[in-house]
Amino acid sequence: MQQTTEDTISSTGSPGGVRIGVDVGGTFTDVAVIDETGGAITVTKVSSTPDDFGRGVIEALGQALERSSVPPDAVTLLAHATTVVTNAILQEKGARIGLVTTRGFRDLLELRRSARADLYDLFQDGPSILAPRRWRMEITERIGADGTVITPLAEDEIDGLVEDLRASRVEAVAVTLLFSFLNDDHERRLGARLRAALPDVPVFLSSEVLPEIREFERTSTTAVCAYVAPILNRYLARLKTAVREMGLPVPYIMGSGGGVFEIEESLAMPALSAESGPAAGVIAAALAGTQIGRPDLVSFDMGGTTAKASLIRNGTVETTPEYEVGGSASGKRWLYGAGHPIRVPVIDLAEISAGGGSIAWVDPAGALRVGPQSAGAEPGPVCYGRGGTEPTVTDANLLLGRLDADSLLGGELPIDYERARAAMEDRVAGPLGLTMDDAAAAVIRVVNNAMAEALRIVSVERGHDARDFTLFCFGGAGPLHAAALAEELDIAEVIAPPAPGAFSALGLVASDIRRDYGRTFFSVVDDTDPAALEAVYRQMEDEARLMLARTGIAPSAWEFARTADLRYIRQAYELTVDAPGAIDTGGLASLARGFHERHAQTYGHANSGERVQIVTLRLAATARLPVLDLTRPRGDVGTGRSLKSQRQAWFADTGRVATPVHDRARIAPGTLVAGPAIIESLDSTIVIPPSWQATPDDGGFVTMTRSATGDPR
Amino acid sequence: MNDHGARVSGFDPATFVVIRNSLYAAAEEMKIVLAKTAYSPILKVAGDYSCGIFDAKGRMVAQGPDLPIHLGSMPDAVRAVVTAHDDIVDGDVFIHNDPYFGGSHLPDVNVVTPAFHGDELIGFACVRAHWPDVGGATPGSYGAVTEIYGEGLRLPPVRLHSAGVPNRDIDAVIFANVRTPEERRGDLGAQVAANRRAVQRLRALVDRYGLETIRNAMAEVMDYSERMMRTLLARLPDGESRFEDFCDGDGIIEEGDDEDRPFTIRLRVSKRGDSITADFTGTDPQVSGPMNAPLSVTASGVYCALKTIIDPGGLAPPNSGCWRAITVTAPEGCVLNTTFPSPVVYANHEISHRVCDMTFGAVAAFWPDNVMACSQGTSAIITFGGADPRTGRRYVSYETIKGGLGARPGKDGINAVASGISNTMNTPIEILEMSFPVRVEEYALTPDSGGAGTWRGGLAAQRIWRVLDHRSRASSCLERTRSAPFGLHGGHAGQAARIWAEDAEGQVRRAPGKGGFDVPAGGRIHLHVPGSGGYGPPERRDRAALRDDLLDGYVTPQRARSDYGVADPEALMRDEPGAAD
Repeated sequence: MQQTTEDTISSTGSPGGVRIGVDVGGTFTDVAVIDETGGAITVTKVSSTPDDFGRGVIEALGQALERSSVPPDAVTLLAHATTVVTNAILQEKGARIGLVTTRGFRDLLELRRSARADLYDLFQDGPSILAPRRWRMEITERIGADGTVITPLAEDEIDGLVEDLRASRVEAVAVTLLFSFLNDDHERRLGARLRAALPDVPVFLSSEVLPEIREFERTSTTAVCAYVAPILNRYLARLKTAVREMGLPVPYIMGSGGGVFEIEESLAMPALSAESGPAAGVIAAALAGTQIGRPDLVSFDMGGTTAKASLIRNGTVETTPEYEVGGSASGKRWLYGAGHPIRVPVIDLAEISAGGGSIAWVDPAGALRVGPQSAGAEPGPVCYGRGGTEPTVTDANLLLGRLDADSLLGGELPIDYERARAAMEDRVAGPLGLTMDDAAAAVIRVVNNAMAEALRIVSVERGHDARDFTLFCFGGAGPLHAAALAEELDIAEVIAPPAPGAFSALGLVASDIRRDYGRTFFSVVDDTDPAALEAVYRQMEDEARLMLARTGIAPSAWEFARTADLRYIRQAYELTVDAPGAIDTGGLASLARGFHERHAQTYGHANSGERVQIVTLRLAATARLPVLDLTRPRGDVGTGRSLKSQRQAWFADTGRVATPVHDRARIAPGTLVAGPAIIESLDSTIVIPPSWQATPDDGGFVTMTRSATGDPR
Repeated sequence: MNDHGARVSGFDPATFVVIRNSLYAAAEEMKIVLAKTAYSPILKVAGDYSCGIFDAKGRMVAQGPDLPIHLGSMPDAVRAVVTAHDDIVDGDVFIHNDPYFGGSHLPDVNVVTPAFHGDELIGFACVRAHWPDVGGATPGSYGAVTEIYGEGLRLPPVRLHSAGVPNRDIDAVIFANVRTPEERRGDLGAQVAANRRAVQRLRALVDRYGLETIRNAMAEVMDYSERMMRTLLARLPDGESRFEDFCDGDGIIEEGDDEDRPFTIRLRVSKRGDSITADFTGTDPQVSGPMNAPLSVTASGVYCALKTIIDPGGLAPPNSGCWRAITVTAPEGCVLNTTFPSPVVYANHEISHRVCDMTFGAVAAFWPDNVMACSQGTSAIITFGGADPRTGRRYVSYETIKGGLGARPGKDGINAVASGISNTMNTPIEILEMSFPVRVEEYALTPDSGGAGTWRGGLAAQRIWRVLDHRSRASSCLERTRSAPFGLHGGHAGQAARIWAEDAEGQVRRAPGKGGFDVPAGGRIHLHVPGSGGYGPPERRDRAALRDDLLDGYVTPQRARSDYGVADPEALMRDEPGAAD
């Protein structure tokens, strides 16, 4: 099914550069076209083409250019978020790879961290193995825990190794030697020989990919790079050719840590692009929040199958250095599931399997459950009439009068209300002995509670008071649930952007060029030579400057942000602390001080007498692009007369109540819409409960607050 | 689906689910706080601890995604505090570890914090964490002794904090008795912090829903788990069977013996309707060494197996209610229901592993489709202790090495992954070597260690350590060196465990499966943990799967011939027609 929607957010266009962002999701490919100077934004949505994602991307780009009447040579930046990396891993369709390790350790990748993913699942599968044992090889060598050579590299074994790799017909090679993060000499020498002997096979060295302690995580990250590199290479090469034929510039790739980088960077370190789509949404939220004077946000992105939460503080997105790719999406706070750990900066997201498609059911002991099964895009909720038989969250929203019972997506999607009602009766209301309204409301409460947990993970658990933040909701289903979630967390304000369904794509065009670097620097703060530490930062900066110079962006727009991962000397997990300015003795002391404070904030206690250990130094190198204004006043602002109908919607405080339904495009800026009310637009529905009120601004952002019945806190 | 017309009582369905989820989220959050702030590798990277939320009577309402080994005995940890103290006030924090009074073995240290709302007791938070050392004669507190007095510091439930004020006296006693007190202090701080987080969440729940509602919800959460287990149990056929297995020994060589003496465990399982009984009558009497289990430890192993068998989809949240449908009995004074002052330190994991595997073995007779063959069946612990020559500081290292998960009908076992009652992680080699004066020279899968079968058992891991520049006091705790992990329904047993030592000159020395021994500078320890059992006759193994086994070296050509009846394994590897027979 080829489905296209379009939503023009602003039409006050003026000549100037144009940026294009392409976000490929499992269901839709979204293209955002934005005029750098005028702020005109066009969003085009096209069905994704999972058999060959590139086809959908080209298709969508063509349509977007046509709709926005932008000549290709006016495009200054083309940014792309890809699912190629994640999909290759999820579907186990990556390359045939070889792994070379220190003698005695070829099974590191399979031995993992030895915990199983599920405690009581009798029939669980072991985790997938990126490099089967037959293609895992060893070389005699050993570096010790202090970085000195215990056993020299057996150069005479390398020819045999090359023969074995050739005979295995591997398409890429990962090399991880023990303690290479302290001394990379063996890895570099081995790598040089392998690259010379196997010029067509990409070779990834763990000391280049991730010079950090923990051999399994380093091996896993390096193996992920090798596993996806050939596929990513082919995909990006095709894409590059296709966009050149369209007259568009060479695309930049979105990284999981926020920010875009060149294709060459992406190929050198494919793991950097593992979560690029979700990152884009958070980046867009951060920018929009800053521009509307709300720099402290909890962003909430809810689609058909998953909900994601992230924290934005003072306009800055939080990243985390550990992530598992290819594991099942879940709200589990505990890593080490069935996926493959990669240690690269990833925007700190809590993701749970809850969305519009989540299925409601009653378990054998009589409790209501929602998910984790999802009706997905096919067959979808019962009310779509495409064969779904199990009631979903979307069906519950429909039955409660929150969604239009006649049609969705501006009439493109007819609704089968009766079928949804029957399914909810059979599967939930009947078994629980509830009325239809109570059953549907219970489904919504349960799913809201699960999503509130994701919001809690990124806020309260990280030591932040959720009440100090604004909830910023997007994704097709986000604004439907946002007010109720805000109540769960005692958040007083909710904001929905224009076109929430395609908001993530804006993050691509709003991103700066950025690349993250990291180096293990194992040293107790008190024993650290500040000059040595400074030298490592400088080294990373030199590398970054080369990358930035290639972008052609003036050095005046370059920025380097230094951070350090620290912990108490005997702990295993680090906290990331800012390390501004050149490091001297005073700088070291303030680093330690920053850590004590962060520890107290995060965990509720600090141990100021304890020695602080530096583990990893990090550098984020950014080339700032001109800031886009996402809040330009709309040219087509509504002139009032927005009320289009009224329906009986259900709310916890009131039960069924007559609820006015407004057309979002026609609401005049500044209009106060008192709850209960519903605001509909093409790709989203905003629900305003009885004790809330909403006001759109002239940029199309709708702000919801709790009505003035006492201090909401 | 809902075949008993079961209902959640006293609540609207959504409120019940919301509160239940919040309680489990609180337990999970405790786990994060502990892992991220603890000091010793066994807690921070290996994850040897459990977190729980308890009601005011000390019943476990919610267990985090933690170790099944603590399923049966965690509730006793809080009940012990409630029993010992009738004057609990807000701000108190209790600590204890006595296996004869609410504990499991001395290294498992319980920290219990009451949660108050005003003057009203809501319930408790408890973290049980394995300390790498609690004193005693051997670093790591894993010596082969004959009384609990020799196993380390024994703490009955005492106050670590009184009404918010740290109790310096008890603090001084604890840290005078453990090795590496600085590290222990960090671990203890992490336990207290984890509980504090849970207490905050319980208070917030009461603020929101009221005390009565939360109390009722706690009771209903347990009733709900009971209902779920009984409903699922009732769907399985009735049956009764017996199973017998023996343990290698207790680590003590009795007078007149040359080697450790095995002892036997006997189990009769009978299931009728919606309840099931595991009866260990006929099991050998308690032993001299620390292989004696309190009944709650025995119960943990049975519960773990039955939870996996009855509820493989994880529908019943783990709490005290789950176990009401299960009865575990063993005669007092036998090795599975020991009496004071028998030593117990090994039994905590070794016996619960054993009875867990045996429960699978027993019910395989009447539930052949719901079981797995024997897993590695031991925690395979190696400790090192001494003074680090690099710093002069004392150190204690504690590691567990993983064998495999047993084969299941329709699926192979899983290689070298924590099984049964355990789910701890390994310590990264690079972290181990930077923390302790040892070097790992090999960490690899052991070929042919998985029991042959239609479905092959999971392979074990093997590891070699070299002790660097000092004499180290090591100790081991290992089972199934003689009693190899059994296969089921025609599957073969997995490979038995082996341990040996070498001096710096490469001279091989014996090393005990249980107990302490010295390793000189430059000496090495070799450990091969047990593989797991196979399921179904090996000759029925899919030849394509066997070919993969051969190519990956999981099975050697020699064993493909002898175990699987392949005439020409090399031809099979070359994928020649007819080679498989």
